[in-house]
Amino acid sequence: MTATEPRVPHDEPRPVPRRTRTTVLSWVTSTDHKRIGLLTLGTAVTLLVVIGALALTMRAQLARPQMTVLTPERYDQFFTIHGSGMIYLVMTPFAIGLGLYLVPLQIGAPNVAAPRTTMLGYWLYAGGAVTMLSGFATSTGAADHGWYAYPPLASTRFTPGPGVDLWIVGVALAGLGMLLMAATVLWTALVKRTRGMTLLRMPVFTWSVVATNLMTIGAFPSLLVAMGILGVGRVNPDLFDENIWNIGYQHVFWFFGHPVVYVMFFPFVGAVAEVLAVFGARRYFGYKITVVSLLAFAALSMSVWGHHMFSTGQAENDYYSLTSILLLVPAGMEYFGFLATLVGGRLRFPAPMLFALAFVPQFLVGGLTGIMIATPPVDYQVTDSYFIVAHWHYTLAAGSLFGFFAGFYYWFPKATGLQLRERLAKAHFWFWLVGTNVTFFPMFFLGLEGMPRRISTYLPQDGFGTANLIATLGSGLLAIGTVIFLVDVVISIRRPRRAPADPWGGFTLEWATSSPPPPHNFDPDHPVPPIRSYAPLLDLREAAR
Amino acid sequence: MDYRAVFDHVFGIQLWIAGGVFVLVTALLVGAIVLNRARRRDKLPFAAAEHNAVEIGFAVVLGGAAAFLVWLSLSNNHALDYTDTQAGSGPQAVAAGAAPVQVAVTAFQWCWSASYPGSSTSVTGSCATPGDRPVIVVPQGRPVEFSLTSRDVVHAFWIPQLAVKRDAYPDHVNSLVMTFPDAGQWLGRCSEYCGTHHTTMDFYVRAVPDDQYQSFLQTGALPGGATA
Repeated sequence: MTATEPRVPHDEPRPVPRRTRTTVLSWVTSTDHKRIGLLTLGTAVTLLVVIGALALTMRAQLARPQMTVLTPERYDQFFTIHGSGMIYLVMTPFAIGLGLYLVPLQIGAPNVAAPRTTMLGYWLYAGGAVTMLSGFATSTGAADHGWYAYPPLASTRFTPGPGVDLWIVGVALAGLGMLLMAATVLWTALVKRTRGMTLLRMPVFTWSVVATNLMTIGAFPSLLVAMGILGVGRVNPDLFDENIWNIGYQHVFWFFGHPVVYVMFFPFVGAVAEVLAVFGARRYFGYKITVVSLLAFAALSMSVWGHHMFSTGQAENDYYSLTSILLLVPAGMEYFGFLATLVGGRLRFPAPMLFALAFVPQFLVGGLTGIMIATPPVDYQVTDSYFIVAHWHYTLAAGSLFGFFAGFYYWFPKATGLQLRERLAKAHFWFWLVGTNVTFFPMFFLGLEGMPRRISTYLPQDGFGTANLIATLGSGLLAIGTVIFLVDVVISIRRPRRAPADPWGGFTLEWATSSPPPPHNFDPDHPVPPIRSYAPLLDLREAAR
Repeated sequence: MDYRAVFDHVFGIQLWIAGGVFVLVTALLVGAIVLNRARRRDKLPFAAAEHNAVEIGFAVVLGGAAAFLVWLSLSNNHALDYTDTQAGSGPQAVAAGAAPVQVAVTAFQWCWSASYPGSSTSVTGSCATPGDRPVIVVPQGRPVEFSLTSRDVVHAFWIPQLAVKRDAYPDHVNSLVMTFPDAGQWLGRCSEYCGTHHTTMDFYVRAVPDDQYQSFLQTGALPGGATA
């Protein structure tokens, strides 16, 4: 198979979606993991656009000193909902929803385990999103205490109004929904694998989701406890007169808050690994060491939370610095797999591959600066400054979102049976490649020059004007790229071009079934092929040669 | 205790390492993109999908890099610790008996105040007005211990040019011991988001020679013609 472009072979029967009911009701009451997964991903894409627009407004405000696009109060609401929305309502659902859609397909299972619980997870997530955002409809506006909501600021004494109440309920609902979804997908991978699909034949993406869901199950209960503490503080703000509840909240919150960073990262490592292997036309290099690294990384991630608290004077800085820096070993092994696959591959460059290739150096910027801020003497300077803002936007926007888009362009034909327009996809890529770097790189310098995060404006004499203007221009490129992405999706749905079962020459089981897959993923027309490794379709091609 | 010097040292080393790794990875990536295009290659450059010796060897190299970076982090963090520098003899060591000068700093929504135990002198101002920001005066060349606390929510005491930051909590006192090798005045900011006027919670720290500092403690003001 040497196809370079998606095409429909004439001799192949056109795949027809065999769904009898396509009403809204049939979607929102579905027990099909593919529909629940697509609902989750579609909701998250919608929210990416809405919550991204908040960021564009903030960038407009910061373009020049002393601008008044937003009042300080509104600015505080925007950065709070931007940060918490992107984490709880966009990136985590992307991570877990992508796993929900793909894991049953990749392991040859007919459906997710406990599909009704999974659907409940979606409903909790959707309800949480509506609840959190509905704060904007109240007279005092949405929550404005920052995404990690430190008390005592988040108590009724310092932040009255229903916005915070709605935020706490919304985060708890969305967090619980993600927890349920992660649990059922993990269960699926562990017990519903098809004949021949041993654990060490699961694709790299499925393994990345297993590690993700293990972290979710370890971390998200702690988020629910943290929201409980805040809830008590809404009723009784005297709680936070005692330091133990303030610093205790921070520990409980970050015990969730750091693993979730890797929840929002791992599935995209898996997606990038699949894309690099398929478009490198070779077996992924270093499968076993990558699996071991993912699991070691997930385990170690539960011990690093205190590196968010170096400047609190109330954390064991040496210990958290040690555990955090050790993460570079499993992370470095994952990069070894990426690079060896590329160095030993025959590369093609359709849109998913471009996003996957850009992911590698861009996430690396986030990772290398991560080692810096895991070092207390450096962190004392850069924490809570724009250096940190730059760091995690390199990991999440320039890293994980590129991994997400690699996966989106790669699996969209499988999920919908439709082809996206390659030229628009590439235009989206180039706007985002330039846009993320122009937006986020200047922020490193702003942080080193002393610009704190979460300031609604600055004075001309602060000297932050030039870098902020560049960053704002970059965010405009991101907006254009996003519009192109949406146009691409709309055109592909309105003027459909049917996608074949396997447009890319894929290696994993989802490419052995139709596009979109039948209700139970595989059927007599699309049987599960024999499985001898983590690249079963490549095995068949090599055997036929 | 000279946070800036330690920051410059550690950050400088890390920047070189990070730059080297970034260039290496990007060079491999670009090299593969240029040399391994499917049109240029009839078959795979190499077909192996694993190589245990190389993988384990690379893991050992990464472990060594991690060990060095952990050592760099921890040893320099201890170089900033007052108790450790008293005991040690490194370049950061402080002469025994040089008890730190005490300055009590209180953060509140949305400004700062400072008092000096044993003296009736105190400092405050209006943070939102650049000309009326509080100026916390400290002696140059002697260790200064800031006792940081807050009256309401969590704030953070940050002097960007001196590369130092410590949070201020209600119901808790954080100790920050540091030295000011040079006389001068630096802008300080609140770096922990603390509500609507977090943006304007700016202050100054001013280090003056010891005789001027003593005069400040006595009279509550710096003598005329004090060096900035």
